Amino acid sequence: MADEEDIKEYRWETGYEKTWEAIKEDEDGLVEGLVAEFAQKAARRAVAPRKGPVRLGMMRHLLVAIDCSEAMNCQDLKPSRFLCTLKLLEKFVEEFFDQNPLSQLGLVAMKNKRAERITELSGNVRKHVKAVENLINTPLTGEPSLQNTLEFAGRALRPLPSHASRELLVLFASLTTCDPGDINTTIHSLKTDGIRCSVIGLAAEVRICKKLCQDTGGEYGVVLDDVHYRSLLSEATCPPPRARVLDAGLVKMGFPHSAPVNVQNDPTANADPPITVCMCHLEEGEGVSGEGHLCPQCRSKYCSLPAQCRTCGLTLASAPHLARSYHHLFPVEPYEELLNESQAQYCFACLRLFTDVDKQVYRCKRCLEFYCWECESVVGATLHVCPGCASRPNLYQRLPDTS
Amino acid sequence: MADEETPSDSSLLVIIVDTNPNQRYITEDPKILTNCLDAIISFANSHLMQKSRNQLAVIGCHFHKSEYLYPSPGKPLDVRQIDGQYELFTLVEKTIKMRLVNLIKSQPQDEKPGESLLAGALALALCYIARLRRQSTPGLRISSRILIVTGSTDTAAQYINYMNVFFTAQKQQILIDVCSLDKHLSLLQQGCDITGGLYLKVPSLEGLLQYLLWVFLPEASERTKLVLPGRGRVDYRAACFCHRELLTIGYVCSVCLSVFCKFSPICTTCHTVFKIGGPLPIKPKKKKLKT
Amino acid sequence: MSESSKSKSSLNLNPSPTLQCKDLHEYLKSRSAQFLETLYNYPTICLAVYRELPELARHFVIRLLFVEQPVPQAVVTSWVSQTYAKEQAKSCEALSELSVWQEAPIPGGMPGWMLAQSFKKNLKVALLGGGRPWSMSSSLEPDGKARDVAFLDAYALERWECVLHYMVGSAQTEGISADAVRILLHAGLMTRDAEDGSAVITRAGFQFLLLSTAKQVWLFLQHYLHTAEKRSLSAAECLAFLYQLSFSTLGKDYSTEGMSNNMLVFLQHLREFGLVYQRKRKAGRFYPTRLALNITCVKESGPSVAPLETSPHHQGYIVVETNYRVYAYTQSNLQVALLGLFTELVYRFPNLVVGVLTRESVRQALRGGITAEQIIHYLEQHSHSQMLKSETGGIKSTSMLPPTVVDQIRLWESERNRFTYTEGVVYNQFLSQADFVVLRDYARQQGVLTWQNERSRTMVVRRAGHDDVRKFWKRYSKSS
Repeated sequence: MADEEDIKEYRWETGYEKTWEAIKEDEDGLVEGLVAEFAQKAARRAVAPRKGPVRLGMMRHLLVAIDCSEAMNCQDLKPSRFLCTLKLLEKFVEEFFDQNPLSQLGLVAMKNKRAERITELSGNVRKHVKAVENLINTPLTGEPSLQNTLEFAGRALRPLPSHASRELLVLFASLTTCDPGDINTTIHSLKTDGIRCSVIGLAAEVRICKKLCQDTGGEYGVVLDDVHYRSLLSEATCPPPRARVLDAGLVKMGFPHSAPVNVQNDPTANADPPITVCMCHLEEGEGVSGEGHLCPQCRSKYCSLPAQCRTCGLTLASAPHLARSYHHLFPVEPYEELLNESQAQYCFACLRLFTDVDKQVYRCKRCLEFYCWECESVVGATLHVCPGCASRPNLYQRLPDTS
Repeated sequence: MADEETPSDSSLLVIIVDTNPNQRYITEDPKILTNCLDAIISFANSHLMQKSRNQLAVIGCHFHKSEYLYPSPGKPLDVRQIDGQYELFTLVEKTIKMRLVNLIKSQPQDEKPGESLLAGALALALCYIARLRRQSTPGLRISSRILIVTGSTDTAAQYINYMNVFFTAQKQQILIDVCSLDKHLSLLQQGCDITGGLYLKVPSLEGLLQYLLWVFLPEASERTKLVLPGRGRVDYRAACFCHRELLTIGYVCSVCLSVFCKFSPICTTCHTVFKIGGPLPIKPKKKKLKT
Repeated sequence: MSESSKSKSSLNLNPSPTLQCKDLHEYLKSRSAQFLETLYNYPTICLAVYRELPELARHFVIRLLFVEQPVPQAVVTSWVSQTYAKEQAKSCEALSELSVWQEAPIPGGMPGWMLAQSFKKNLKVALLGGGRPWSMSSSLEPDGKARDVAFLDAYALERWECVLHYMVGSAQTEGISADAVRILLHAGLMTRDAEDGSAVITRAGFQFLLLSTAKQVWLFLQHYLHTAEKRSLSAAECLAFLYQLSFSTLGKDYSTEGMSNNMLVFLQHLREFGLVYQRKRKAGRFYPTRLALNITCVKESGPSVAPLETSPHHQGYIVVETNYRVYAYTQSNLQVALLGLFTELVYRFPNLVVGVLTRESVRQALRGGITAEQIIHYLEQHSHSQMLKSETGGIKSTSMLPPTVVDQIRLWESERNRFTYTEGVVYNQFLSQADFVVLRDYARQQGVLTWQNERSRTMVVRRAGHDDVRKFWKRYSKSS
């Protein structure tokens, strides 16, 4: 991927894209049909299909470094780069844990040539969101240091277990970096440790960032506006293809069973469970309640999942956490695109009547039902279930091939 | 996509009716299905009665396929009033009954009825809701929910489909309500819990309409105001991929998150070869993390 | 000394009385219980009333619908969670006001609620069937020249705009009937000119023009019903028929068979305003239009969703920019004229008008009795669909208009409202300076002095303190 991009000339060196020539009027001198077609194509490009079950790094460990230098004061993103970043970051944190339930996230601030930890690597959504909210009052001064940030990330990510992915995402507003030594050696050591670095630039493309991303296998993007910023961030929430250096492992995991086990012999089974303190809030002294999830190994209590048991080290999760990523394993087979020759009057899934504007219809190769392009994208991008197949007794199961 | 507090301008309800003939209450007394259907139709019309902009869809889930019972694709039936009933309500009733008869007639004679494929019907419902949201006037607040009325049992065979559907619904802020007519449904109850819907196992089929009206008629913004049955405890244990048994402690592949009940050297899902001695060296390293 | 009392009713104080648009609930509330009782004999009215109830009240009704005995009030209270007790009280009040339910004692002495018999019966009929068919629904042979929805929309819009055109008196006016004029006059939307007796638009009329179409129709019909009784039409019957129309299906034809003469007259009136379409007066069938269907939607007009505008023929056309420019994609003279009420029109093209919101233009509108809220609402309501879609960085604001513009319009209004009015009594013509000082100091001590001037020996005391000050003055002048 990275190599291909290198060959490509700069945008200003390419020939004119005569975008206006693509627009043609129909017999009535209208462009409505064409506009609808463009919208269709753009929407379809946005959900570029992911090919087959790839091996993904599902257990991610991601550090997000936020530039807190003077450059963040700039008001080209509204209301300012920093406030816009924080606003989007809040959504990013939620989306990240939505997509990667068993992953861990950590926040780092880059300010005054140093890298400071804001939150530790952990899977606690609330803690991160709160930390992002608190950042609003951070004074934005000085220059950032990319090298220090990379070194910091290296120190934090190196000790992680070998089956976990290690990633760094830098939100970089400055065009300069103030480094103590040779940044190339740092980049090299990150590369050997298999730490994947991605950068989202808020100003303009910077060569060293590009090199960093290329060498470590990350993605480099420069934002055009706030909407583009958001889409770049949301791309970072999808689990990346698995780096080769990683080992695979089986992780022992506990699935806490919230119902009390000894219902029969407990006379007070119907009463509320005894009030106890949960382990996650032990230090803060709050979180006293009856409900909770008990670690199946040592029976310590946690108020939210996923968590790692502080007593016995077992990873605790509930089944839906794992199930959130199953769609990566069993993706829907892409539908085939056919020219609309009135094979069907309406879309099987949403009952929308096909009209002249629908140049294409889509057909599932398994259940042979016809779908409109909107449903096709819904099924492929979010639903991950083919409505036709899922309601056929001979097609609904998509278990992994045992062969 | 209004948040919980503000009332919506329009509320869309998709009812999924399980018509599978192997449900216990139907095998015991086939006539009861008609009574239940009448209750469901009255409930559907009560929903339409709430607000003039309320919308409705009904999906019949039979064992061989799922199909829309209302609205009918293409042109609606031409219905004339015969008594004092509101014309739209008559249309709903006629359409559902006619299309249900067609659905049941189309069932293959030589096949034995199997499991009700509710996940497929749910997927249909989500596509329909997505379409109505796309087509609505910008600025109109639509709240959507799905109600499943079923007397079947749920099995782990549809687990992945169910979960995908539940998460999509959660993301789109669509509530999934379940009204069970017979057995306790632990998988569907998880769906209610994930999406914030209500789960109710009806104690008796007598007065089904009253249960529906009391519990499931209020839309999301109204539910906080009324006293309704609580959520209850939900069993969230995972089922292993090899034997489909519920586990409290299991092994998870770090690549694809498949769940196994025993340690095995190769993942059967993604064919990854695990490092020998797999789980053991992880624990001490994990502990370092907690510093 | 003399005192002169100046009291003004608060209505006069307010420079611009806003046009009242009652919804069905308020309209019915103002009618007698007997009138309501007759109304509840129509299933349509029950259905309409049900939809107008507060949300909790709707659930009370549906829960009581199948119960034959009175239900203890305490039970009803227990349905709602404690935190929403206020809303629950409001809902109960609404149900009592409209006589949907009545208090009924329960054996054992507890107070209970019971739905009104006729309401319960007819709501059940509407929901579940039974009873007699509605008057207009007898079956028909298919219409050879059936009209589609697009045609009906265009027709309804044209008819209704005709009425509005008449009000603004624009040149392209097609005459409207004397009946319609009478209603406009009755409603105070127009008034007879003192000189030549021609009808001219009033302040209320301007405000009327800025309402959403559904509200305009409903307001207009309300006044129609008021005048109906004079023409020996029964208001209840008319209302029931109107709601029958509103529950009919768009694009379907209905028969006039079996309708009374009065109702046929009413139908002709509705035809004139565009609520129904009839090819010929004696056609025997008619098509309700969207105007009629939307009568029930008055209350639930969402943020910007004026129901007629949901039809493809009549979408929002106004784009407002942060630089106060207003672009209106329209050809209709009426819409241009309306826009001209509060903007300064700059350019006019075949399908586009460009205007600027200036302080002067908005103030002129304010002086004409239009409120800032009405201007903003009008702009919101007719916003171009592109305005609705625009979104900034995932942070969606509540209004689709630029906040600067909205705020500025409000500021322009509030700069006109710098006066606050206090009712008071003037004390003047004191005989001596000493008398004045004593009384003034007393009033000041009591905290009721509004204004005073020593040189002219005049002071103003607040109304509430007047009695007290006067008593003091009597005592003082007696003792001295």
